[in-house]
Amino acid sequence: MSNFSYRSDYVYDANDPFGHMQEEFPRESEFDVVIIGGGPNGLIAGAYLARAGLRVVICERRFEVGGGLATEENLYPCYSSNPHVLYHMMVDYMPVIRDFDLDGPALTWIKPNAQTGIVFEDGSSLLLTRQVQDTKDSILKHSLKDATTFGKVIRDWKRIVGEIVAPATYIPPMAPIDITMAMERTAVGRAMLEIGEQSPLEIINDTFEHEKVRTLMLYAACMWGLDPRETGLGFMVPLMLDRTMNKCYCYGGSHKFAGALARQVVKHGGLILEAAPVKKILMEGGRAAGVEIGHEGRSIRAKAVMSTLDPHTTFLDLVGPAHLPASLKEEVEGWAWDKWSFNTLHIATHEPPKYATDDPWINESFATVVGIESVDQLLAHWDAVVAGRIDLGAFGGHSTCESLFDPTLSDRPGKYVSMFQIHAPYDLEGGWPERRAAIEAAMLAKWRKVAPNLTADTILATSMEDPEEIEIRFPQMRRGSIKHGDYRPLQMGCFRPNLDCSGTDTPIEGLYACGASTYPGGLILGGPGYLGANKVADELGVERWWKPTPEMERYIKTYLEE
Amino acid sequence: MGKDERFDVVIIGGGPNGMTTAAYLAKCGLRVCVLEERTECGGACETVEPIPGVRIYPHAMLMYASAAPGFEQLELHKYGFRMEWDPKDLLEADVGGLACSDGWRSITPKDQMGWAKLGGMLGQPSFTRELMRSAFWCPPHPPEVEVTDENTPYMQVYRKYQPDIWTPELREMTMFDLLDEHCETEHFKTAMAFAAWASGAAGHWEGVAVPATLCVQLLTLPNMGRTSIPRGGLHGYFHAILRAAVHRGATIRTSSPVDEILIEDGRAVGVRLRETAASGGRTIRAEKAVIAACDVHQAFLDLVGPQHLDPGVIQKIRDISLKNQTLYVSTFHTKTPLRFNDRFKNVPDSKYVGPDRHPMAGIFPCDSREIYYENVADVDGRKGQPTVPPERAMWFQTPPQGFDPTDCQGHYPRGYISPAFEMAVTSPDYHVEGEDALDRHKEDMDRFMRESFSQMLDGLDDDNILHHWSASGRDVEFRNTGLIGGTWCGSRHDEDQLWTNRPIPELARYRTPIEGLYHAHQTSGHPGGLCLMAIPYNLMHILIEDGIADPGSWWYASPYYIPQEGKRSAMRG
Repeated sequence: MSNFSYRSDYVYDANDPFGHMQEEFPRESEFDVVIIGGGPNGLIAGAYLARAGLRVVICERRFEVGGGLATEENLYPCYSSNPHVLYHMMVDYMPVIRDFDLDGPALTWIKPNAQTGIVFEDGSSLLLTRQVQDTKDSILKHSLKDATTFGKVIRDWKRIVGEIVAPATYIPPMAPIDITMAMERTAVGRAMLEIGEQSPLEIINDTFEHEKVRTLMLYAACMWGLDPRETGLGFMVPLMLDRTMNKCYCYGGSHKFAGALARQVVKHGGLILEAAPVKKILMEGGRAAGVEIGHEGRSIRAKAVMSTLDPHTTFLDLVGPAHLPASLKEEVEGWAWDKWSFNTLHIATHEPPKYATDDPWINESFATVVGIESVDQLLAHWDAVVAGRIDLGAFGGHSTCESLFDPTLSDRPGKYVSMFQIHAPYDLEGGWPERRAAIEAAMLAKWRKVAPNLTADTILATSMEDPEEIEIRFPQMRRGSIKHGDYRPLQMGCFRPNLDCSGTDTPIEGLYACGASTYPGGLILGGPGYLGANKVADELGVERWWKPTPEMERYIKTYLEE
Repeated sequence: MGKDERFDVVIIGGGPNGMTTAAYLAKCGLRVCVLEERTECGGACETVEPIPGVRIYPHAMLMYASAAPGFEQLELHKYGFRMEWDPKDLLEADVGGLACSDGWRSITPKDQMGWAKLGGMLGQPSFTRELMRSAFWCPPHPPEVEVTDENTPYMQVYRKYQPDIWTPELREMTMFDLLDEHCETEHFKTAMAFAAWASGAAGHWEGVAVPATLCVQLLTLPNMGRTSIPRGGLHGYFHAILRAAVHRGATIRTSSPVDEILIEDGRAVGVRLRETAASGGRTIRAEKAVIAACDVHQAFLDLVGPQHLDPGVIQKIRDISLKNQTLYVSTFHTKTPLRFNDRFKNVPDSKYVGPDRHPMAGIFPCDSREIYYENVADVDGRKGQPTVPPERAMWFQTPPQGFDPTDCQGHYPRGYISPAFEMAVTSPDYHVEGEDALDRHKEDMDRFMRESFSQMLDGLDDDNILHHWSASGRDVEFRNTGLIGGTWCGSRHDEDQLWTNRPIPELARYRTPIEGLYHAHQTSGHPGGLCLMAIPYNLMHILIEDGIADPGSWWYASPYYIPQEGKRSAMRG
């Protein structure tokens, strides 16, 4: 049984003492589908399509699949970290988890109650929890009015998320006018339209009155890249806030999710090639016909080529400008990368960070915001970052102690792994290699200010990963763009990556785009890969063995059916 | 938590041996579950990227397995196995010279011809593959069969193809004895003996001349040259095995450490996971067999436990010698590339390779077997820290992997990344100052290493080094629990622990005193380490004898295999 067709000319020949002793993967082979990139979207698309009976191959450039679903020994030897530890925000909704039964003995999700905290220099704190009443209790320490408002507003926002935004993540995008008409059908839909017109800053300021509450809410709403002052994406504020209170930790590390997906691909007959950077998308008669793997002279032919890479790489680098319609070329050239990236300090310690604060739950919190005292300071920090600067006096970020949930990250028993991550520009004034040491020292000092036990005696090792290094580790996060491109109104919804490609098919026949730069976007949503699989299954004429989730069915029934 | 899960076979450990066993058994149609303690399978076949763009191979980095029947039987090419190896590279590879205290010394035609002859390359036709398979890919003979010159597999091969190598003393020799007979220069013999020590069976051990020679030949003959590493490193090779297992239906569970092998009425019936396992401390039942593909100490002393074994066996298991090379591995990030120093400057251009033109340093110093013995005494003599001066400490540098575009060497934008430099040090378990001594001495050790490597190379001074990653045997014990004693090759492959004695005669055919329990790990089974897919292939013979595995027509047994009396034969057709 072979999941691809090829011609083998291998023979073992004892008369040729220099002959090969073992057969290798062939120089030329033919599949139904070739997927470029073995990140979450590539693996998801591959798993669905392989199980649908198609002959699938995934080409991954790194030595390991997973893309951002990585668990890497940043603090070598003995201590591993997860770059995407806080990104598992859609586990409750992702169709792939239900369709492949990925919540059980093979893959365990932990959803702590204490989700996102903030500590202030005066020792006060605030905590967003999975259980609404616990969050209200925490807000109550600062403002009775905000606590009451939160209780009311979160109910509406959860409805917007649960009924509309979350299920719509896995349904092809609609034009703005169609969305408006669909949303007019219900009160929840109308509320969503209304909030959509406001900027995150307006929404937070209009809803809450206390400075500390506003600070944390704005941080949580925008930490993944919403522009606090931009209007048009306000509907994402409820999503971000609800999800920041419902993140999951993937036990054993995020890479376990990638491993589980990869096993589904292979179990159903798919093939994965690591260390196989695609150099070129083969074009024949104007359509995509396969790929060429860099430096090996190997080519793979396929009926469908699915790229999970950013539009720049897919169209300009791999297809080549000569093959692009003029309008597509223009759209691709106008693609805007993330406006900010991350700078992350990983540490291994003898004990977890202990925050000097009024609420012991902060020490158990999944994420803790550190160094941000007010909305103004937060905006100033973000403005500086967009302008290419990090103000060592005014920056802040979020921290997490991964070992609290997962002892397996440390091979040395009883030691802890944590990280402190700040928004940071790719193009830093003064240059990253030059300023690294000073920034690391400032981050450590800032962290120690609120977690005094992080002294030289406690810290075993540190390792900092700057935005340039994000691009070095994950070359497809160009310019440190963890989402493959900015979240701005003209790059979201049916405009992601552009009107021609947001449905995952592209103006080039046989070529599909289904990575983080395609609707619905980045983070570990699993949306683009799922939507790409739907499209390719339909176009290659194979039956979908899967059905929409109950949430998606309700959404379709309420908002889309005639 | 629901009912216990049930499989035909539960395999403890997802390293190369556990996973290859899973691939074989899944191909036989058995329901197999692999339980791996770490978050990622692969064991010693791993790649890490401690800082972005810097990929290092903490353990297995060279391909010794080319002759394995597993490539064909498991069809690894269909699961993406690729190896960039152009025979032209081999023919054109510059043999160069060997590094000694006084500079390069050349390898003579007699050295080369003797070496090639021992490896079967001069036979007509070449019998290299058959020779290697006989030494590694054949289960030990059953206990009732006396091992003789006539029935020892490699002896049969030499007698058939190259009778002038065969002598009645061959099975008693050391590798040095054998090299003295067939090769010429002292530095060549010293280098090969050291390479054998690093590969698992040392050049001075009695009675292992041929296995010691062949384990170096595994590396140099079937895939010599610079491009002898699988695409994606040894982890890439492992991926093909993993996928062969998964595609055939094996269930893989990572973050699943086992706490206990469940034994009922003297029979292994399953395992209980540790509480920190991803699925909690649940029980997993094995209806046909439990296979311990973890180290011999863990398997018998921790997971089986003394209540099920007699004290004599326990003592023997405790006494299994782990004195094998514990390698202290260093990788450097430097501002400017490393270069040969003045003493070694006079080399052909081909000694600089890859986009960074990295020096191929090889083994140093290869002067004489006396220097080799000084190092052996330090490492295996239960001393502790090195007592040889840095200029006499023997080390080797792995081939630069810059040919691989997915690798960092030659492609790192923020400076230069060296290949791994390796030196043997005392295993933590035998260190006279205690097993945690290597932790306390790490800074001294790092400095000693740099001084030793600087005997040959410029650029390892404090000003030029941006980062020195080092992993001691102690780190290795924590990171890779299967590499007990920090050893790479498993327990010592000496005469008393090899072939029908490996690891002790009671366990030599992969069976154990517990019915239904088998072992498949480099510390416990013939032939031992090097990620050869050999233990699983050999174990298959035994599982067929015991009626557990029933492979299809793809299976072929070793032609030198002798079935156990009263069992069915694994030889088909």
